[in-house]
Order: sequence, then structure tokens, then C-alpha cells
Amino acid sequence: MSRFFRGGDDSSSESSSDDELYSGSEEEEEINEQKAEEESEDDEVADESDEESSDSDAGDHKKGTSRFLLDVESSESEESDVEGTTKVKSAKDKRFDELEATITAIQNGQKINDWGSIANELDKLNRQVVKLQDGGKAPKIYIKCVAELEDFMNETLAKQKVTPKKMNATNARGLNAVKQRIKKGNKDYQDQIDAFRKDADGFMESDEEEAPLPKVQKVRFQPVSGEAEEEDDGGFATVGKGGRTLQFTPESIFKHLRTIMESRGKKNTDRLEQIKIMEKLLDVAVTPYQKIRVLMTLVSARFDLGSGGAASMPLEHWKAAERELAALLTLLEKERDHVVIEGAEEWDDDDKAPVLEPGQKYIKVPGSIVSYIERLDDELTRSLQSIDPHTSEYIERLTDEGSLYNIIFQGLLYYEMLRKDASLEVPQESLNRVIQRRLDHVYFKPGQVVKILEENSWKQVPSSVDSAITPRTKSNDAGQLINVLCNYLFENSDGIIRARAMLCQIYFLALHDDYYRARDMMLTSHLQENIANFDVTSQILYNRTLVQVGLCAFRKGLVYDAQNTLQEICGSGRQKELLAQGVMIQRFAQISPEQERLDKQRQLPFHMHINLELLECVYLTCSMLLEIPLLAQTGSSPDVKKRVISKTYRRMLEYHERQIFTGPPENTRDHVMQASKALAAGEWKKATTFIHSIKIWDLMPNTDEIKVMLAKQIQEEGLRTYLFTYAPFYDTLAIETLSSMFELDSRKVSAVISKMISHEELAAALDQVTETVIFRKGVELSRLQSLALTLSDKASALIETNERTLEQRTQGSTNAFNRKDGRQHGGQRGGGQRGGRGGARTGGNTQRQAGGTQFTGGALGAAVRG
Amino acid sequence: MASTTAANGAPSVEEYDLMLKLAPHLDRHMIFPLLEFSAGQLVDEESGDVKDEQKARVITQAKYSLLKNTNMTDYVANLYCQLEGLDVDNTPAEFSERRQKVFSQLETYEQETKKITELLARDDVVEKLRSDKVANLEFLKKEYDVTIEMVNALYDLGNLQYSCGNYGDASELLYRFRILSTDNDKVAYATWGRLACEILGMQWESAMEELQKVRESIDTKLANNPLAQLQHRTSLIHWALFPLFNYDKAREPLLELFFNAGYINTIQANCPWILRYLTVAVITSRGRAKNQGIQQKQMKDIVRIVKQESYEYQDPVTRFVHALCIDFDFEEAQNQLVLAEEVLRSDFFLLAHADDFVDSARHLIFESYCKIHARISLKDLSARLGLNDEDAEKWIVNLIRDTRLDAKIDYKEGTVVMNHPPSSVYQQVIERTKGGFFRTQVLSAAVASR
Repeated sequence: MSRFFRGGDDSSSESSSDDELYSGSEEEEEINEQKAEEESEDDEVADESDEESSDSDAGDHKKGTSRFLLDVESSESEESDVEGTTKVKSAKDKRFDELEATITAIQNGQKINDWGSIANELDKLNRQVVKLQDGGKAPKIYIKCVAELEDFMNETLAKQKVTPKKMNATNARGLNAVKQRIKKGNKDYQDQIDAFRKDADGFMESDEEEAPLPKVQKVRFQPVSGEAEEEDDGGFATVGKGGRTLQFTPESIFKHLRTIMESRGKKNTDRLEQIKIMEKLLDVAVTPYQKIRVLMTLVSARFDLGSGGAASMPLEHWKAAERELAALLTLLEKERDHVVIEGAEEWDDDDKAPVLEPGQKYIKVPGSIVSYIERLDDELTRSLQSIDPHTSEYIERLTDEGSLYNIIFQGLLYYEMLRKDASLEVPQESLNRVIQRRLDHVYFKPGQVVKILEENSWKQVPSSVDSAITPRTKSNDAGQLINVLCNYLFENSDGIIRARAMLCQIYFLALHDDYYRARDMMLTSHLQENIANFDVTSQILYNRTLVQVGLCAFRKGLVYDAQNTLQEICGSGRQKELLAQGVMIQRFAQISPEQERLDKQRQLPFHMHINLELLECVYLTCSMLLEIPLLAQTGSSPDVKKRVISKTYRRMLEYHERQIFTGPPENTRDHVMQASKALAAGEWKKATTFIHSIKIWDLMPNTDEIKVMLAKQIQEEGLRTYLFTYAPFYDTLAIETLSSMFELDSRKVSAVISKMISHEELAAALDQVTETVIFRKGVELSRLQSLALTLSDKASALIETNERTLEQRTQGSTNAFNRKDGRQHGGQRGGGQRGGRGGARTGGNTQRQAGGTQFTGGALGAAVRG
Repeated sequence: MASTTAANGAPSVEEYDLMLKLAPHLDRHMIFPLLEFSAGQLVDEESGDVKDEQKARVITQAKYSLLKNTNMTDYVANLYCQLEGLDVDNTPAEFSERRQKVFSQLETYEQETKKITELLARDDVVEKLRSDKVANLEFLKKEYDVTIEMVNALYDLGNLQYSCGNYGDASELLYRFRILSTDNDKVAYATWGRLACEILGMQWESAMEELQKVRESIDTKLANNPLAQLQHRTSLIHWALFPLFNYDKAREPLLELFFNAGYINTIQANCPWILRYLTVAVITSRGRAKNQGIQQKQMKDIVRIVKQESYEYQDPVTRFVHALCIDFDFEEAQNQLVLAEEVLRSDFFLLAHADDFVDSARHLIFESYCKIHARISLKDLSARLGLNDEDAEKWIVNLIRDTRLDAKIDYKEGTVVMNHPPSSVYQQVIERTKGGFFRTQVLSAAVASR
């Protein structure tokens, strides 16, 4: 029995059974190969004969198995009916028979290499076996069959690889189908199959008595199969290795590079493998030319890893790319006769490297350093975008910025060197791009940080080297550096780069509290007029700059300007989006996935963010200081209510007022709202306490100064609010009282009152002798009167609109008509100051726009629209 | 600030000396009068102070280096001698050499231009000239063999004459050149040259004409070169200071020029110190201007600009405006007025207007004071105006009479009582709708004419 079994086993699993047998079959295979090379028919014949030889065995084995199995199964399932099995078959037995038949069919298929039929039969088999499962265990014959089939399949596949002859279509399809089925099916029965593989006989006989041989076989079997596999793998490797040792000579570098370059972008290229090859190539590269070529290809190959999809480049590859780029730049710095420039001619000859011909000064290598630098920068940004900013990983990654900055710096030096030689015709644009990158890395940083960056990058270059554009002496001071970089770009670039340089400089100035220069530059740049035509990233930069200017104005205590500047961004309620610091989830907006992806790409890395909470806090505080007196002023008369400085603020205030119960303030908004309430009631001290208790002020430099400034503003605005609110209830008010009430100098009080009187905000006069304010009576208008005033306003506004319309149509070709009453216009255009009672009504919003310092741009809509 | 002034007037005034800021935008020849003026100021105060002498020497030195490159050789030689302490007779030879050279140059140019000058002096020739320059040149070429070189020689001679200080001749020559030349650039230069000549020759009327021409050429020809436009405008503004403060009729058009958007922007961007002159001009022109409305508008503008530029430029004059019209701090305004007067007295352009300015400024203070106050004590007011009681009273009475202010002096109490009638609502409505009909008419006429 056992002998018999052994034979069957041998024959069916040719590839992995007996040592001798295996070698024999291999030989056969080789013969087959040879034959196949000569003649295909012969091959089939050989195959057939081969199969035939095993056929008899297989047949025997089948019988044996089935008989055996039958016994086992029947004995297990129906003990009572052991005798009658031959005659009366149970349903299960019938199924077993069917199963056996199918297996035979498969084995037949194997013999003639008919994969089409094998696939069909296998399907059938799989269906049948489901019904025959016994406690999750498939029938043993099934396992055996499948295992054998798998082996056979692997063998065929291996054969397929070596023979150039192709299978016919149906066969190939069948083979593929079988491969997939087996893979799928075998997973379910993996342990059983393994058990079978380990000990084919033992497995089949598990219920029978132990065979004498299996043990031996098992011992023999295992090492062989392992060896075989190893050998198999090793065989391939050896070929490869042999090739490698041969291939990686300096001479063949270019050939390799070419194949790699050609496979670039194709499917199924193993980029990692290529990178490994190139790393080896780099080791053997001797001449600078070779090194440059290898480095460049290597770096671009690394970048290819990151391309496609939103995933960023793997960290180790980024670092490697950074190192290699640095090496490349150092190499280029050393080897002055090699230059990498765009638009150089490709060197087609793979066998020999170009040599310096007498007439030439350089060996030109095509490539673009600036693109590498930009790519490296972009990849860093991308990875920063994807890392959670609150982890230490982010900070670790951020430290790489230093080395990146060094690369940019080196690149800049390199381009400067290239530019020195006019014959190379390096476009100005490349240099501009490098400088722009450098600027991008410094403009938003405080001076000390920039200084460290600069010092590090100067350290790595030899002290003899100096930059023409940013000399060593000028790089110590961040402000100077920015100035130099920006001025260079102003002079040598145009369009977007220039605008960006301008914005960067403004941003930097604003960050460093140089408000007036920042503002003047912002106004003279006229960017607010055409920013809508720029690309989205520039618009984002514009928005950021605008916000930074606003914050700067606030730090300077210029509340009006700050509010004005921040209005557009903060009033929109879409700060996050406008500053690219997060994507807003819009409930009803339909965003295509493409759009969403772009939005995500645009997001700034966390370390560049402007603190939104601080921004909101500043904006709301400024709005409060402007709105509360205004509310008090307009409180009594209904028709002036239109004039709103900040809608957002008003909405919040209304919401706050509607609350039935207001608890102690929790967040910034609550604080400001409660302060507003207190201020409106004239309790300036309470308001100050609320504002001062906002935690976020601590993020500002010079927190204390800002708090003092705010306290002062609150005092003054409180006084104004008080006067507006309570004027109708007083005849006279002593300045002294007011002064003690608001803890202000009496001179200051009278100055504030004088201002209000002069601007006709307050119907009052000062009595110098008694030091009092005398409120005039009878200035309150009746409803009818105020309506009449509104009507007259509307009428004159209508005339004005008409005139303007006509003016537009005539395009000012002729001064068809002059505005006769220049005085009234003068009053409105006067801007800057808050309008008087009358002026406020006529002027309304137009007056605010005419004001001196206002940045109204179209950045808003366009930036959002994308 | 006030305390330092009390202790020692000179330094604080010096602080506001704009000489160094003005100089780069002026012509050499124009700086000369400024230097003369500074020298003259020292002489006035001369009380044997060593420091002053040093300064005088510095000024002479400046004069020398200023004129070194001009062709006013005699004067330069004199200066040189003065500096070196030499006798006038011992002038170094190089000066006489240069003098000789200049003369010979003059000679040659005069030779070259003789013919054309004669031609242009002849009535019959001049009569035949038309407004078309090209045709003129053609005509002269045909009839009298005038070449373009001859025309250009006119320009060169004009230049030389100017350099020698013969402004009248230079102006005439450049005028002739401009009639004939077709070279746009040179014509523009000639216009500038003539403007300089007229200014230096104190021919204000023609200077104004030239100024207008320069302005036009800046606006049209340099429209696509903003930087050059800015620079030219800056120069023009500086040059215009001469007529502005020396020729009364020039004031209105020049103020109009200064407040023109392009020029006011230039001032703000490039030369904020002009604000001092502009402020003084605006304040002193109150009551003088025909149209009160314009003056008020200008005043408002100047207040706005002073406020905007306060971070960039400040001097007592602008601070006065700031204190009075923005902060309503009358005490501070008064302090600044005192300082401003001093500054004005040491300024070349403003010297003559110092009194005028102080007077107008007082008006201004009083006006806004009255606007705000209902009752003012006379005593306090006189202190504020910097006058003694009696003068102040007189002054106020005059003021009330002149401006028809609704105010009364209560002598017993020693107060001025102001009456502020609240502007009637009806009046307001009337005011606002007043121009409506007229404007609509103009509008409809304009529509109809198209």
C-alpha cells in the first residue's frame, strides 16, 4: 500500500517529490526546451510522452485513493451500512464519485496541457467540494488534487517564462484563470494543503496505520523542496549578479542611465530597483561628468517616487535627494568646466563621455538645477502638509527646512556663477526663481530665525565665496537681506514674481512693525486693483499680507486702519479659506474631488499659519472700538442705522444680546462681546478687564504695551460712547466730572469733546469760563424731519449717479459738465475724518472708501473661486 | 521742545532747515540764492560769534563747490580767494585760463549763431514763419541756408550763457531755439532751461508760462514712464516754490497745481517737506482767495495729508496744523505757532510771509475755538493768541466785524460769548437740494449735445 502510494505521489507531483525524480524531470524540461526551440510539435509529443509515463501511475493512484477514501468516508459517515456501499450509494457518495470524476478530468487535462478544460473542471470541482465539506475540512482527494495542480501550474508558468513559444490564447486564458482560482481557493484550505505538502503520504493515510516510508520521505522531501526553491531564486539572482558585476563599470554607466531614462514613466518599472542600481552606479562613477549625470538621474528618479497622487515622497528618499543635490552642487562648484544648464544638447553617444574640445569652455549637461530645487521644496511642503502639526514628527521634519535652505542658497550661488559668463545665456528667469524660493523661506520668519538660517548657509560654503546679489555683509540682517532680494526681483523680473516679491517684502515689514512702509508699499503697488488676475497662490499671499498689515496697524494702536484692513478678510467669515489654513466644509457647495484636491494642495504648512484666533480677537476688538460709539451715536435716530462698519461684529453682538442667560465669558468672542456690552453702558473699566483677560494677547510681542494701548482706546471710546448716550439727558456736564469718571486728563477730555463738536457729532459747546459742556437743546429731529433729510440725500445721490453714468459713457472725453458744487464734494472726499452729522448721512459707505488707507481688492472672490 | 527754544533759539530752528533736502531738486543756480540767504542770516546776527564765522566759512565753501563747475569764473575766483585768504589780484592762473576759454567758447558759438540770430531779428523773415516747425525750418533752409547745426548751436550757446549767469540772454536764445528745433528731447530741455532763466531773472509771468509748458510736457510725454514723471514732477514742485512765494498772482494756479492728484502724490511720496510750504501757502491765502470754497477744500486736504504724512515729516508748521485741526489741542497749537514763526523767519522762501502766516494762523485758531466754545474768557484768549489784553480785544472786535461772527464781548465779565444757532433742518434740506435743478439741466444738456 505504502509503496504504491509513494509511486503515485511521485508521479503526480513531479516537481517536488523525489530528488532523483526531480532532477530527472528537470532534465526532461531542459530537453523540452531544446526541442521547443527546434520544433514545436516535437515538444508536444515529448510532453505527451512525458505525461503518458506518469499517466499509468496517476491512474493507479487514483484508483487507490478513491478506494481508500471511500472506505474511510463511508466508515466514518455510515457505520451501519459499510457492507452495502458498493451497491447502494448515498448522496454523499455520489458526490464523491462526481468529485473523483472531475479530478480525473483535471489530471487528464494536465497531461495534455489543456488549461482551458482544466479551468472548467476546476470550477466544477470547487463547486462540488463545497457540498462535501466536513467540518471545514475539504476532502483529502480534493486537497491533493489542488496541491498537485498548483505545482503543475507553477511548473508550467516557469516553463512559459523560458520558452519563447507562446501558448495559444485559450490555453493562456485558462492558465490565468486557474492561477487565480488556485490562489483564491488555496487560501481557504491552506493548512490542509501545507499538511499535505509536508507529508503527502501521511496526510492521505492519516487515518490508516503509519506507513514505514513516509518519514524518510518527509525528511528527504523538505530539504529538497527548499533547496529547489532557493536554487530557483538563486539561479535568477546569479544571472543578475553575474550581470551586475560585469555591468557596473564606469564605461557602461551611460548605457544604464539610458535604459533607466527610457523606462521612466512607463508602467511596471520598479523605481526602487532603479534607484538602487543608480546608487551603485554612483559608487563606480569616476569622472565628474559621470557623477553629474548619475546624480541628476538619481535625483529625478527619487522625485518620481513622489509623483502621482497626493502622497508625498518618502522621507528617506527626500533626505537622500537633498544630500545628492547638495553633492551635485558641491561637485559643480568644484568642477567649473562642467555646467548644468537648460537647453544644452543631449549627448547621444553612450560609449564615450564628452570631452572638452579646444574651442569650448564648458562641458554642458542638460538639466535644470532650479527645477530640482523647486521640486525639493515642494516635496517638503507636501510632506509638511500631510503631517499632523502637533506631533514631534512635524518638528523633526521642519528641521529639514534648514538643509533645504542651504541647497537653495547653494543653487543661488551656482546660478550667480553661471550668470557671470554671458556666453552661457542662462536665462534671468532661473535666477529669479531661485531667489523667489529663498525669499519664500524667509519672508514670514522673524529676524532672528532668518539670521540663523543665513549663518548656517554661509558656514557651509568656503569663506572665499561671496554672493554678488546677497553679499555676506548684507545677509546678517534679515531686513537688509529681504530688501536686497526683493530689490533684485523688482529690477529683474516682472509679472507675478515681482508682485510676489513685493508682497513678501510688505509681509516682512508688517511682521516687523514697520507699518507705514508696509502700508505705503501696499498702496503704491496697486496690487489691490489687479490681484484678482493673479493665480490663487499669489492671491493667498496677498490675503496673508493684508492680514499681517492689519495686525501691524493694530500693534501700532491704529485701530481704524487695522479694522479697515482686516475687514475684507475677517468680515467674510472665510478666513480659513482665504488664508489657506484649512478647508471650510461648505454645506451646500458642490466641490468636485479635483477641486478639493487642489484646495488641499494649496494649504500652507502649519508653521506658516497666522493665528486665526488672534486674528479674530484683533478684528473683533477693533470693531468693538469703532462700532460701540457708532451704535451709541446712531442709537436714537432710526435712519442712520444703515451705516455698519462690521456686519460680522453686529451679527455677533445681536446674537449675544438675544441670549437669555449669559454666563461668564469662555472664549475670545465671549470676552469681546461682554466687553462691548460694558463699554456701551459706559463701564469702561469692566470692558478693559474683559479685554485684558483674553489669553491670546500673550501671543503678541509686547503684550503689556498692547494692553495699555487698548486700555487707552477703551477709555476714549468709552467717553465718546458716554457722551453720545447720555447727551440728551443733560444740560451741562463739567469736564472735571468727566475727567474723573474716565480717569483722563481734563485737557484730553476737552480735546475729545472739541473734536466731536467740530465734526458735528455732538450738538454742544464748551464753556471755557466754567469748564463745562453745554448741550444744545432742540436738535433732535422729528420723524418727519429726518425722513425729509433722508429724501433729500437720496435725491442728490440720484443726481450724482446720473452724472457718473454719463461720465462713464463719455469716458471723460469732454468735460461735458463740471460738478458745480465742489464744496460739497470736497466735504465728502475729504475722507479720513469721521463725517459730521450731515456728512455721515450723505457719505455713508462712500466716505469710508474714499479714506486714505484702504485696501480693497478683488482678492476675495477670486481666491475662493479658485 | 518749547523749553529748548527758550534757552537757545538757534538749534531748534536749524533742525528744521530744509536746505539739504531742497538742494538735490534744485538747479545749481537756484541753490545760490538760498546760500546767499543763509549767509545773510548770519551777518544779521553777527555779534562776534566764532561759531558763526565758522559757519560763514562753511557756506562760502559750499558756494565755491557749488559754482566751481559753472562758468561764472570771476565770481568763482573771488570766492576762491576769499576761502584761501588771498588777495583778489593774486587770483590763480587757472581761473583766468578758464575765463579765457569760456570767452573763446562764447565767441565761437556766437559766430555760429550769428546768422540765425540776425535772421530772426529781421521782421520780414519772422513774418513768414508759421506755426509749423518743420515748414519753418524748411523755409529757412531754402531761403537762407540755415542748417540744423546752426539751430543746435543756439541751444548750446543758451546753455553756456546760462552757465555764465546771463539769464536774460540765455532765455532769449532758448526761446529762439525752441521755435525752430524739432528735436523733442532738446525742446523739453530748453523749456526747463527757460523756466530756470525766468525764475532766476525774476520774470515771474513768463516763468509761469514756462511752468505750464513743463507741466504739460511731463503729463503727456512721460505718461508711460512713472519714475521719470515722478522725478520731473518733484523738480517742478521745487522750482515752483520760487514763484509761489514771490509772485502773488502765481499763488492760485500753483496751489491748484500742487493739489492736483499727481502732484500731491508726488509730494507725499517723494518730498514730504514741501508740506511746510504748502501749508503756509494755504493758511496765508485765507481771505485772499476769491473762492472761499476752494480755500476750505484745500485746508481740508492739507489737514488730511498732514495727518497721513505725520509719520514721515513733521515740523512746527505741520505740527501746528495737526494740533489745531486734528487733536484740537489749542495749547499745543499755540506752542507750535511760536516755533513755526521762528522757522519761517529763517526760511528763504517763507521769510516774507512770516507775519502773514502768524496772523492767519491766529484767525484759524480763533475760528475753531469759537466754533467749539460758547463762552471764552478774554484773558485766556489773549494768552492763547499771544497778545496782550488790549490788543486782543481790538483784534477780536476786528475779527468779529470782518467775519461777521455771531459773538459779543461781555466786558463786565471779561468774556466773549458766542452764539451758535443750530442749523435748521429746513435749511439743511434746502442746502442739499439746492443744486439739483441746475445739475439736472446741465446733465440733460450734456445728453442732448451728444
